[in-house]
Amino acid sequence: MKTYIAQRLGIGLLTLLGMSIVIFGMLRLAPGDIVDILFSTGGYVNPVERVAIEKELGLDRPVWVQYLEWMRQILTGDLGKSYRYDLPAWEIIRPLIPVTLELAILSLIVSVALGVPLGVISAVRQDTPLDYALRVFSLAGLSMPSFWLGMVIILGLVAWIGWIPPVTYVSPSENFWLHAVQFALPSLAVGYRSSALIMRITRSSLLEVMREDYIRTARAKGQSGSVVIWRHALQNAILPVVTVIGIEFAFLIGGLVVTETVFNLPGLARFLVEAILWRDYPIVQNLVMFIAIVVIVSNLVVDMLYGFLDPRVRYGH
Amino acid sequence: MRRSRIVAAALSALAVLAAASLASAETPKSGGHLNLMQREDLSQGFAVHETSTIATSFPSMPCFNNLVVFDQTKRAETVENLVGELAEKWSWQDNYRNLVFFLRRNVKWHDGQPFTSKDVKFTFDMLREAPDAPAKLRINPRKDWYTNVEAIEAADPYTVVFRLKRPQPGLLVMLASGYTPIYAAHVNPAAYRTGCIGTGPFKMKEWRKGEFVDYVKNPDYFMKGRPYLDSLRYVVIKERGTRTAALQAGQLDVSFPGETTKTAAEQLKKAVPGLVITPVAQAVSDNIIMNTKKPPFDNLKVRLAVSYAIDRKALISAVHQGGAVPGASQQPKPYGVWGLLEKDLGTLPGYGKIEDMRAQARKLLAEAGITPQNPLKVEMSTRAIALYVDMASFVINELKQVGIEATLKQVETAQWHSMATRGDYQIGANLTGLGVDEPDANYYENYACGSPRNYSQYCSEEVMKMIEQQSQELNPQKRLALVAALQKKVEADAARPLLDWRLDYFTVWPYVKGMVPHDNIYNFGRMADVWRDK
Repeated sequence: MKTYIAQRLGIGLLTLLGMSIVIFGMLRLAPGDIVDILFSTGGYVNPVERVAIEKELGLDRPVWVQYLEWMRQILTGDLGKSYRYDLPAWEIIRPLIPVTLELAILSLIVSVALGVPLGVISAVRQDTPLDYALRVFSLAGLSMPSFWLGMVIILGLVAWIGWIPPVTYVSPSENFWLHAVQFALPSLAVGYRSSALIMRITRSSLLEVMREDYIRTARAKGQSGSVVIWRHALQNAILPVVTVIGIEFAFLIGGLVVTETVFNLPGLARFLVEAILWRDYPIVQNLVMFIAIVVIVSNLVVDMLYGFLDPRVRYGH
Repeated sequence: MRRSRIVAAALSALAVLAAASLASAETPKSGGHLNLMQREDLSQGFAVHETSTIATSFPSMPCFNNLVVFDQTKRAETVENLVGELAEKWSWQDNYRNLVFFLRRNVKWHDGQPFTSKDVKFTFDMLREAPDAPAKLRINPRKDWYTNVEAIEAADPYTVVFRLKRPQPGLLVMLASGYTPIYAAHVNPAAYRTGCIGTGPFKMKEWRKGEFVDYVKNPDYFMKGRPYLDSLRYVVIKERGTRTAALQAGQLDVSFPGETTKTAAEQLKKAVPGLVITPVAQAVSDNIIMNTKKPPFDNLKVRLAVSYAIDRKALISAVHQGGAVPGASQQPKPYGVWGLLEKDLGTLPGYGKIEDMRAQARKLLAEAGITPQNPLKVEMSTRAIALYVDMASFVINELKQVGIEATLKQVETAQWHSMATRGDYQIGANLTGLGVDEPDANYYENYACGSPRNYSQYCSEEVMKMIEQQSQELNPQKRLALVAALQKKVEADAARPLLDWRLDYFTVWPYVKGMVPHDNIYNFGRMADVWRDK
């Protein structure tokens, strides 16, 4: 298992190196840079001033020198300075991470708490009105973008009760209940969409397993329906679900942009888009690298969970 | 139609007077906090001199002071409504060649240092890029405002003299803009990108990037008893729907200048009848920029055909749902001082009967060799922002009616200004905000030969002479006539055809008192006179 983890970590590092080249290259290929944006806020462009700012920010150096400088900064734990805010990138990124992580984890909890049981019920009650109703529920979740649902929630709340969750971030130490309220609605909006996917995967995977001989044998041996489903069937049907959960978590870290925007949560996904629009290279590069690390780690965790859940993987069969 | 407009104007004037007398009858209360809407994060921190965006100037206003400012309790921005801030008194001398300011003596910067004439000289030498200026701005969008300033002399710690190359009565008004605060000489100008040391009524407490800016009352403010409020928070909300919902839900007390459209205001009023909504002008115009250096728009006939083809009234009705007013290159009356009268406006391209206008446009195009058999195909560039795209789409449809086939090209913000300044476009749909209602600020910036913000690259010797002439005219009535002639001339040359001037429906909760929106979004928001009646 240790060799396996070491191999995966090695592959992960190579992936990160590749990612760094892709991020760096793509950012430079996008038209315009921070200097254009700075002038845009002034409504004009002055070529002489432009050259001076490029020099000040180090954008006049060859691209490969800029890349090597970035790598050197990462290796020394210095993430550079935000072009826009003129502050250390880490100082800006650090407070954003817990917000997005919390929202992603809460959304995942909502999605698993809803998706797995409903998927099981739907599979067990296959082709009954309840199954149809749950399938419609999941299809609706897949069809409704979470930002749209978020906007509907906000507009519905303000229209019906004249209230919306706080639009300024409230930390748990400041006011725990207000914090919980602030995160509950976006988690539900995002979690609903993810739960729909998890529910459909759970249902189809469980239906497949329930047609296996060993399930029939377990029933024939007189085991109760719930034991058959929750102990024998679900344990074997859960692997694809775990894969989806891992992918969903990785997706959520970078994919919460619009939900964070709609609920005005100061997370890194929203900030990343802003940084891209500003061509704030140090912020974008480091945020994307952070997301890449989360994706690699969550995949690693999923792989390790495979080993835990499936003895065949654990023993290398 | 005209009669009903007069009645409406009279009623609104009465309403304003009634509101004003009611406000004056109320006694301000000290204390309390306000949450203000902020559309986007501060683009350059508090470095007002390095930007031209309301997203920086509005939330920075409480930190700073000007030498003079438009009275924050009055809506109209006229010379009569100028009041001293850091200058106690001022005087034009030597036939408007010297402008002398006598400064307040009891003013301290937020870090405790005394304010003196050295700070004023530092600020304006930096702005005009004097050879011996001790500091340089990274970008300097309003350098053109100060080209007529020959020298700034700090005669003593509390007297400053602006020596001008020639008379320029409009300079005083430009010094009252929200874009003209005084920086501290002992603070590096770059430091304003991350913090704020001002002399204003509020001290910046915290700027949490992308979230909010917090201010606390400046206890040493030079106006005794002000500000009334203890604290302010500018809450950054990027999503428009969430911003409006937050205002409606009472999480925000004050809207953002230029944010509330007529439709949004109507919906807000319906949802919360108690909200106080004041229709004011924004000093932001919709206009068409055409590259006069390249075919086909180097041809005056083609440019004029474009101007004739666009039905201004229909644009105001369709795109702004009535939330804009027609006008030429200066904001129209009663919102602005210099705008053309309605009878003069009616003589300009695009203001007659639409059938006649279109016939005129087709005739001009035919004279330029453009016929239905040989249609003109152009690319209409605009910023990839709904505000711009809606207007551009309407214009494209109007141009189609006269035989100009335009395709829409949406340009990202990162590219828009560099593209426009380079002249790397054919025709564009543009928005222009005027920092102050003063012809000098407008014409030197947007119409003068070689100005980087003259996106059409229009250059006329005759117009330059007219700009110079009006700039130094000392008789107000004569200057008004010269500016009117100038407006007609640039529209007749289709230098940058003006389509309309946008209105804002500035919204506050009823307990917010003393917050008077101006007919220019850039010049109010000092917040010293604002109080909370709750």
